[in-house]
Amino acid sequence: MSTETVVEPTGHTVGRETILAARNVTMRFGGLVAVDNVDFTVHSGEIVGLIGPNGAGKTTFFNCLTGLYKPTSGEVRFMGEVLPPKPREVVVAGMARTFQNIRLFPNMTALENVMVGRYCRTSSMAFTSILHGPKFRREEAETRERAAELLEYVGMKGQGGHLARNLPYGDQRRLEVARALATDPKLLLLDEPTAGMNPQETRQAEELIFKIRDSGLAIVVIEHDMRFIFNLCDRVLCLVRGKTLIEGTAAEVQSDPRVIEAYIGSPENEEGGAHA
Amino acid sequence: MRIPTVFTPELQKQYHVTGRMVAMAGGLLFAVSAYLPWAYTGAALDNMSYLGGPSTLQFLGLTLGLIVAWCAAMGWIEPWADRRGFARPLIRVSKRVGWTRGSKAMGIGLLAYIVLILVVIAIELRGLVAVEWGGWVALVAALMAFVGTRLLIAGRAPSLERVRSAAWVEIVAIALILLLALLLVAYALNQNDGGIFLSIIAFAGALSAFVLRSGIGAWISEAGQKHRTVLVFSSFLVAFLFPFTQNGSDANMSIATQVLVFAATAVGLNIVVGLAGLLDLGYIAFLGAGAFTAATLSESAFATINWKPPFIVVMLIAGLISASLGLLIGSPTLRVSGDYLAIVTLAFGEIFRITMNNLDGQSGPNLTHGSSGIPAIPNLELFGFDFGKPHVVFGITLGRFSNYFFLMLLIMAVIVLVFTRLNHSRIGRGWVAIREDEKAAEAMGVNVFGLKLLAFAGGAFLAGFAGAVKAHVDVSVIPDQYVFLESAFLLAAVVLGGMGTVIGVILGATLLKLLPEKLRFVSEYRMLLFGLLMVVMMRFRPEGMIPNQRRALEFHSDDEELVQEIEEDLPYEFAEEKS
Amino acid sequence: MAFFIDQLLNGLSLGALYALIAVGYTVVYGIVQLINFAHGEIFMIGAFGALSTWIVLGWATGGSTAWWNMPLMLVGGMLVAVLTAVVMERFAYRPLRNAPRLAPLITAIGISIFLQEFIRLFYGEIPGFPDAKAAIPFPQIEFFTGDAVDVGGQLINRGTFFIIAALVVCWAFLWWFVNKTATGRAMQAVSQDPDTSRLMGIDVDRIIVIAFAVGAALAAIAGVAHGVRFGNIDFKMGFLAGLKAFTAAVLGGIGNINGAVVGGLTLGLVESMAASYIPGQFGGAAWKDVWAFVLLILILVFRPQGLLGAKVVDRA
Repeated sequence: MSTETVVEPTGHTVGRETILAARNVTMRFGGLVAVDNVDFTVHSGEIVGLIGPNGAGKTTFFNCLTGLYKPTSGEVRFMGEVLPPKPREVVVAGMARTFQNIRLFPNMTALENVMVGRYCRTSSMAFTSILHGPKFRREEAETRERAAELLEYVGMKGQGGHLARNLPYGDQRRLEVARALATDPKLLLLDEPTAGMNPQETRQAEELIFKIRDSGLAIVVIEHDMRFIFNLCDRVLCLVRGKTLIEGTAAEVQSDPRVIEAYIGSPENEEGGAHA
Repeated sequence: MRIPTVFTPELQKQYHVTGRMVAMAGGLLFAVSAYLPWAYTGAALDNMSYLGGPSTLQFLGLTLGLIVAWCAAMGWIEPWADRRGFARPLIRVSKRVGWTRGSKAMGIGLLAYIVLILVVIAIELRGLVAVEWGGWVALVAALMAFVGTRLLIAGRAPSLERVRSAAWVEIVAIALILLLALLLVAYALNQNDGGIFLSIIAFAGALSAFVLRSGIGAWISEAGQKHRTVLVFSSFLVAFLFPFTQNGSDANMSIATQVLVFAATAVGLNIVVGLAGLLDLGYIAFLGAGAFTAATLSESAFATINWKPPFIVVMLIAGLISASLGLLIGSPTLRVSGDYLAIVTLAFGEIFRITMNNLDGQSGPNLTHGSSGIPAIPNLELFGFDFGKPHVVFGITLGRFSNYFFLMLLIMAVIVLVFTRLNHSRIGRGWVAIREDEKAAEAMGVNVFGLKLLAFAGGAFLAGFAGAVKAHVDVSVIPDQYVFLESAFLLAAVVLGGMGTVIGVILGATLLKLLPEKLRFVSEYRMLLFGLLMVVMMRFRPEGMIPNQRRALEFHSDDEELVQEIEEDLPYEFAEEKS
Repeated sequence: MAFFIDQLLNGLSLGALYALIAVGYTVVYGIVQLINFAHGEIFMIGAFGALSTWIVLGWATGGSTAWWNMPLMLVGGMLVAVLTAVVMERFAYRPLRNAPRLAPLITAIGISIFLQEFIRLFYGEIPGFPDAKAAIPFPQIEFFTGDAVDVGGQLINRGTFFIIAALVVCWAFLWWFVNKTATGRAMQAVSQDPDTSRLMGIDVDRIIVIAFAVGAALAAIAGVAHGVRFGNIDFKMGFLAGLKAFTAAVLGGIGNINGAVVGGLTLGLVESMAASYIPGQFGGAAWKDVWAFVLLILILVFRPQGLLGAKVVDRA
C-alpha cells in the first residue's frame, strides 16, 4: 500500500495551531469507565482518525469532544476554551458534525438543508424578517448563494431542488457534509462517513475530505473501514476498552500488532472483541 | 390511497366511447332539465316549480351540466380540430387541460348537487312526492353523467401550469375569480334558507373540484404565485368591498366580523401548530387575555382598572400581556415536547379560565367580576371615528359591524403578513428543521428553544391583538367564552383548512363559523360534527383541504407516489436553486 | 381532628377515583406510547352505561333499588365502556399508528368532543331515558348508598367505602392479570419491545386491544363509583376527571401501574388538603383545580418520569 505518498500534506508543520485538545479525559457511567484517561490533540489542516473495536468508547469519547457530555475528569479545550455541554453553542464555537445514521431534514430540499446550516451564522430575527427590508433580503440572498456554492463544492451542483429524502445514498452523505460546512466550522467531525458506501463512493468521499482538509479545516473521522482510515489520516488514535492503545501516524498504527489483535482477537486474549 | 371501484380499466377500455356519449347526453339533459319544474310548490328552496323559468339554483345546475357536456365533448373536438388545423393556439392550450379528469370530478359534483337539492326538497316539503318530474329527469341526467364520465379513460395528467401566458391575462383571471367569489359569498350570505345556502356550497364545491382536477387550478395557483402582490391586494380589496354589498344590513356584517375574528385567531394558531409544529391546546387563553385586558382598561363602568389609555396603547398592552403568557406557557418547551407539551398548554388554558372566574373579589382580588365578566364595553373611538355610529359612503350605509369589520381586516392583514414573512425566512426554515428532526436541528446550530418560544409568544401576541378588538365587538367579556372547547374549535379550523397555509385556514375558519350561523341543524350538532370531522380528517386527509406541500409529505411519509408528484412541481417555497 | 380525618377520607376517595381512571392511561401508554386523551370520556360512558342498565332493569322490576342491581350495573357499564374503547382503537387509533404524533393526539381530542356531544344530544332521545343536557341523579341503590356510616364517632360516606374497595379489588386483579396470566406476560413483553414480541408470535394488535379494554373496564367502575359517591353524573364529567387522572398517571410515572395508584392517591390528598388548608383568598375549593394543574405542569417539566419512575422515552 502506498499510504505514505498520500498522507504527506504540504508544509504541515508550519504555522499549525491547536484546534482541539483533550487532556486526561475520563468518563464514568456509574461503575463503568467508558473512557479512561485519554489525551487527544487535533491541529488545523490535519485529518485525525479515531478507531477501535465496538464498545471501545469511541462514541462516548466523540460525545465528550463535541461537548455533549461533560467528562467526569479531565477537560476538552476547543480553540483554548472549554465549551458548555450544549450542542448549539458547540456549533457556534466552530465545531460541526455529521451523523453515523444520516439525519438530514428529509422533506426539505437539498439547498434548504444547507441553508439551515447557515442558521447560526445569520442573524435576521422576527422583526427583520417581517419588515423584509434590504438587510433581510441581502442576508437571505447571501445564504442562498453560499448554500449553492457549498453544494457545488461537495459535487452536487444542480441537485439543490431535490428533496433530501429522494437523493441517492451517497449524495445524502455529501449533503450532510455540505450542511455541516455551512456552519463555517474550524473542526469537522465525521461519524462513519463511508458506512454503507460502495468502493467508488468511498473514493469520492476520500477526495472530498482531502479537499476540505486542504482548505485549512481540521477533521476528525470515526471509521471502521481500516483501509479508508489509513489512506486518509495523518494521525490515528486507537481506543480499546476506553484506553488509548496507540496514537501515531497511520503507518505506525497500521503496523502495530496490538491493533490487529484488538480487532481480530488473539488466542490468549479471549475478550479481544469481535470485528465489527 | 386507492378506493376500490367497479369501473375497472378493462371496463373503461371497452366502453369509453359509449361513456363519452352518455356523459354528453347526461350533461345536456341536465342543462335542459333546469327549465323543467323540480319541486311541486315554490316553498322549497328558491321556487323551482316553474316550467321554462329556471330559478337561481337551477341556473347554477345548468352551468354544471354544460361543463360536464363540454368536457366530455372535448375528447372528440380536440383531435378533430387538431387534424383539421383549426385554432392551433387554442388547441395547444386545450391539450394541457385535463378535460377527462375534470369531467369525472364534475360527474360526481353534479350527482351530489342534485341529490342534495332533492333531499332538501323532500325535507322541506315533507316527502319525495313533492319532487316534480323535472327533478327526476335531472337526477337521471346526473346519473348518466356520473356513469358516463366514470367510464372514460383518465389519460394524461393536466399540465396547464406550464403554459406561458401574458401577465395581463393572469391578472384579469385573478380579478375575475375573486369577483366571482365575492358575488357568490354575498349571494349565499343573503340567503336565510339553510337549504339554499347548503346548495350554493355544494355548487362551489363541485366547481372547485372541477377546477382542481382539470388543471385549471394549477394554472391559477401558478398565476397567483407569479402575481402574489396582485393576488393578496385584490383579495383584501374584495374583502374590503364586501360590506358595500350588504345594503346597510348589519346582520351579515355581524357574522362576517365574528368570522374574521375567528379566522385571524386561527391563522395566529397556525403559526404555532402549522409552522412550528407545536400543539397548543390552550390558545383561546391568549385571545381571552387580550379581551380581558381591553375590557379592564376600557371606559366600561364595570372596568376594574382606573386607567384609560388610548386604544392603540391598549392593543399593545393586550398583545404584550398575551405574549408574556405565551412565553410562560412556552417555557416548558425547554424540557418537554410532543404530547406532554400539548397537555401542559391544555392545563395552562384551564388555569386561565378558572383564574378569570375566581378573580371576582371573593376568591381573589376583583379584576374580572368572576363568571359574570365585564359587560357594557363602549364602542371604540379612534382618531375621532366613532365605531358605534353608522357612516354613509357612496350612498351605502355602513353600520357598526362594518366599522369593526374594517378594523379586523386590518388586523388580519397584519397577521397574514407576519405569518407569510416568517414562513419564508430563516426563522421559517428553522421551524421546518425542528419539525423534521429536532435533535439534528439543534446539532446544526438552530436555536430550537428560542424558535419555539418565538412561535408561542408571537402567536400569543397576535391573538392578544384580535382579543382586544373582540372585547369591543362583543360588548362584554365573560370567562366562559374562553373555554377548552373554543381552543379545540380553533384547532379544528386549522386541521380542516390545512396546517401551515393561510388561505386554507381562512377557508376552514370561515366554513366552521359560517355553517352553524346559517344552518340551524348544524348549529345544534356543531361540536359533534367538528369532533367527528377532526377524527375523519386525521384518518383520511391530515394535511387539510388546502395542504401545505411539506406538511402533506410529513403526514404521508410512506406514499412514494405522492413524494414524486410533489417533487416534480415544487412550489416557490421549496427554495429552488437560482443558478 | 374529625375535620382532618374527613379531609383525609375525602382525599383518599377522590384519589382512588383518579387512580382507577389513571390505570387506563398508563396501561395504554405503556404498550403503544399513546396518550389516549379520550379516556376521560370512557369513564363518563361507563357511568352512563351503568345508569342505562339500571333504567332497562327497571322496566322489568319497576325501578327496584335492591342491592343486586349494583353488580349488574357494573357489568353493564363495563360492557358499554369496553365496546366504545375497542371501537375507538380499531377505527381511529390503529390506522394512525405510524403517523406523526400530532395526528393521534388531534384524533383523541376529536373523539373526546364527539363522545361528550353524542351523550349530550342523543341520550335523552332514547325513549324512557332522562335528558342528558343537565346533570342526572344517579340511582340510589340500597346498601351502597344511604346514610353515612358511624365508625368510632367518625361519620363516613358509604361511597367512600365503595371507591376504596373498588380500587383494592381492581389493583389486586391487575396484579394477578399482569403477572400471573399468559396475556399479562405478553403485555409486559409488548411494552418492552413490540417488534421482538411480534417475532416471538405474540399478536400485538390483540394485546393493544386488551390494554384498551382493561383500561376501559376500570374507568367504567370508576364511573359507577363517581355516581355512587357524588350522587349524579353528567356528560362533561369526563373532561376534568380525565385530565386529573392523567396528572395522576404522570405523577406516578406513566407506564407504571403501581405508579398510577400511588399518583392517584397523592393527587387526591393534595387536592383535598390544598382546598382545606391553604389560607387566604387563594385557598378553598375555587382554586383546587388550579393547584392540581400547577402540580401537573411542575411534574411534566421537572420530573416527567414521575414519582416511581418508568422507562424514559423520547416523546419528541
